[in-house]
Parts: sequence; C-alpha cells; structure tokens
Amino acid sequence: MKAPIDNPENWVDEYGDFLYRYALSRVKDPSIAEDLVQETFLAALKARQNFQGRSTAKTWLVAILKHKIVDHIRKKVWEQTSDKVETLFDATANDSVDARFNGRGGWNNRPAKWAINPTKLYEQKEFIEILYRCLGELPERQAKAFMMREIDGLSTDEICKALGITATNSWVILYRARMLLRQCLEIKWLGTEN
Amino acid sequence: MLHWMFNCKEVSEKVSLSMDASLPVHHRMMIAMHLLMCKYCNRFRKQLIILRNAIRLEKLPEDDPALAGSLSKSTRERIKKAVREAAP
Repeated sequence: MKAPIDNPENWVDEYGDFLYRYALSRVKDPSIAEDLVQETFLAALKARQNFQGRSTAKTWLVAILKHKIVDHIRKKVWEQTSDKVETLFDATANDSVDARFNGRGGWNNRPAKWAINPTKLYEQKEFIEILYRCLGELPERQAKAFMMREIDGLSTDEICKALGITATNSWVILYRARMLLRQCLEIKWLGTEN
Repeated sequence: MLHWMFNCKEVSEKVSLSMDASLPVHHRMMIAMHLLMCKYCNRFRKQLIILRNAIRLEKLPEDDPALAGSLSKSTRERIKKAVREAAP
C-alpha cells in the first residue's frame, strides 16, 4: 500500500478501475463516473496528510468517492426538484421527530419488516441505489454528519470539531439522519405497511 | 419520577445513541428489556445496523456485466495529467 500513496499518479493505475466501477454502480452514467473518479483523486491529493494508515488506501479512496457520489446526487435531486414539488424531507422538515410517536411514546408509523438479507447487502442493488438517493435528499448538515460518522468512521468528538457543534447536538443530528433515512427507504424501497 | 421503563421513542433515541457513544449499564438493560417485548423496536434497531453496514460497503455485486467496465486509456491519461498538475 505504500507506493501508491507516495506517488499519486500510481493511484490511477492501482485503484482507478475499481473506483470507476464503484462510481458507475451508483450513478450509471460513464462520463459522470469518470469525473467523480478524477475528483476523488484530486480530493485525495489535497487531503493526503489526513491519510494516516487508519484504513487501507483503497478504503480511504472509496470513502472520498462516496462523498462525491452523494454530492452529485444531491445536486441532481435539487435541480430536478422544482419549488412546486415537495421532496420527502420538505414534507417532514418542519415536523419534529416527536410526530413519529404518539403521546405515550409509542410508534405512530411502526417500522415495517424489510425483506433483505443483511449478510448479502452488496447484492441488494436496488436497496443501495435508493439509500444513496435518500442520502442525497437528506438535509445537508445531517447527511454530512451521518457520512462523517458512518463512511469516514469519525468519532462524534471529531464530528463536533469539524461542524462546530456540541456533543448533544451531534447525537440529535445523527438520530434525525437515521430516522429520516430509514423512513425514506421504507417509503421508496418497500412501500409496504407492517 | 422513578423511570425504569423506556418507551419506543426513548428506545429509538438510545439505540441510535448507542451507535455513537457508550451507554450506562442500566440504560443498556432497559433497552434490552424493551427489545424483548417490542418487535417494532427490534426491527428499528436491526434496520439502523443495516443502514450502517450498507453505507460502509465496499464490495460490489459479483457477475454484473454492467460493472465490468474499466477506465479507457485516454481517460486514465487525462486523470493522471490532472493529478500531476495538481500535485504540489
């Protein structure tokens, strides 16, 4: 793993194809996938100091690519969404999370059963595709905190520093992000009750 | 008020929190007790873990012809050039 980090140009030979396929699996369009790969390498170059061997170079590059993919999807979602059309999250943005529960703290909309094999998630193409779409629709701050936590594996301390928020704040943001994502997947992917 | 049972709303909050911080033992026990009785919170917890694992995925589906592509030579060169020019 040492050589590719030392010489950024080697990254392209070493990881370019994998990143390209990864991007293609999420965005479908080859020229967009190529652009995302290039952006990933350039971002990696800038952030090279942050790569401290916490993960492999490949994992590190894929993490950067995932951020780029979600950024791309977010842009697309907001371009497509005219101000007349509500996204799921516009509709729920003003709701407090409290609205999901009744006065006694029970579920108003009970979580439905998900027909998915948790050990073969990588084969659930539709599920993953909708997950990325939902991430792109999430309010930006929530998406960012969620991705820093789950993709980059940052601690909440690190997220608080990066976003300038308190610990309690970060837990609330992550909770809301998870609630919204879960709900988005349930609506777009399953569309079933109970 | 003495509070020794979590409701679903509290469990949903604590389950999320447990993914980011370590909870005191009595909270963990209260969650476990609730999960024994509540299939919806159980589902919720499993689904949050699925979300976590899905977003962390690096593996791609196997045998997918749509994903057999690779960067063309010219694209590869273009990206290398961009990297070279941006390198300090």
